[in-house]
Amino acid sequence: MEERHLIPESGVAADQEPSQEAVEVVNRREVRLRPGAEEKLVLQFMDSLNSYLSFSHSLSSTLGQAWMELASARHSMGTARLNTSLLDLKFHPASTTLKIAECDDDSVDAKARFVLRKWISSEEVGEDEDSNSTKSPEPADDDDEVCYSQVRRERAKSLSVFGILIPPKLRAAQQSFERALETLVEMANMQSSFLYSFHQLHQEVEDTKE
Amino acid sequence: MANRAQIPTKSSALIAMIADEDTVVGFLLAGVGNVDIRRKTNYLIVDSKTTVKQIEDAFKEFTTREDIAIVLISQYVANMIRFLVDSYNKPVPAILEIPSKDHPYDPAHDSVLSRVKYLFSTESVASGRR
Repeated sequence: MEERHLIPESGVAADQEPSQEAVEVVNRREVRLRPGAEEKLVLQFMDSLNSYLSFSHSLSSTLGQAWMELASARHSMGTARLNTSLLDLKFHPASTTLKIAECDDDSVDAKARFVLRKWISSEEVGEDEDSNSTKSPEPADDDDEVCYSQVRRERAKSLSVFGILIPPKLRAAQQSFERALETLVEMANMQSSFLYSFHQLHQEVEDTKE
Repeated sequence: MANRAQIPTKSSALIAMIADEDTVVGFLLAGVGNVDIRRKTNYLIVDSKTTVKQIEDAFKEFTTREDIAIVLISQYVANMIRFLVDSYNKPVPAILEIPSKDHPYDPAHDSVLSRVKYLFSTESVASGRR
């Protein structure tokens, strides 16, 4: 029934092939009206919205702890040693970046998926951008040690902006903010998911009104 | 008929920040700070001297840069440019409103959550389901 209404009436005979656009619209309607598809979207929307709100509560708690640790570090180091005037504008790439991938769930729209990449060294950033570079494989144990020492090195480099003698509270604050970053990336993924479901459901509501 | 939303895939994208000093310092400790060859940063520190125009310009810049995947903005700062944040609707970069030390997060003011509240309004449910 739905298919007949969607085929344009302007002189297209029953035995003639419908236009490509009409076929695409028909296919899209079939995807939306698949049994259970709407319920699945509603569940996906509710689940991801619930997760988003949970992560936001967790973020508030983690950030609260991080600010407390930062304030404690500032108290022991002095305000002059821990403020943004120490930040210089010399070229340096970010050590913690994101990878964006596209999730395609057999629909016409896609949603973004964010993956956090922590403490990537500047050499590795250059290799990522150079698609012709090759890297010989290393044994697994060496990889773990290399990764661990690289993470330690990058963390130390980040702390060194504020001096050589770093109090334990500042290191603790750094780790708290790292945890906050992980929560934020999960929030971004949940946001992408519920916005995707919302747009699909919104489209369904609009089509029903028509 | 909606066109397919384009998600730009990228292997190394940045996190931008528009927040107070402590929040920015903290996330810089976590390694997200980036300064490019033109000495442009991926963060704006908001204090009492920062104007609304500066915040607007930073928001517009971060949301149009191709190398930025997420923009973190303190919710009290987002409230200063609420009309701009509300009108933003691209999937990437994602905008996340975060709490600050003096201003806790309020889901009622979040732009993204306000947008999806429509789905639960009596008007949308009643008119679509008769």
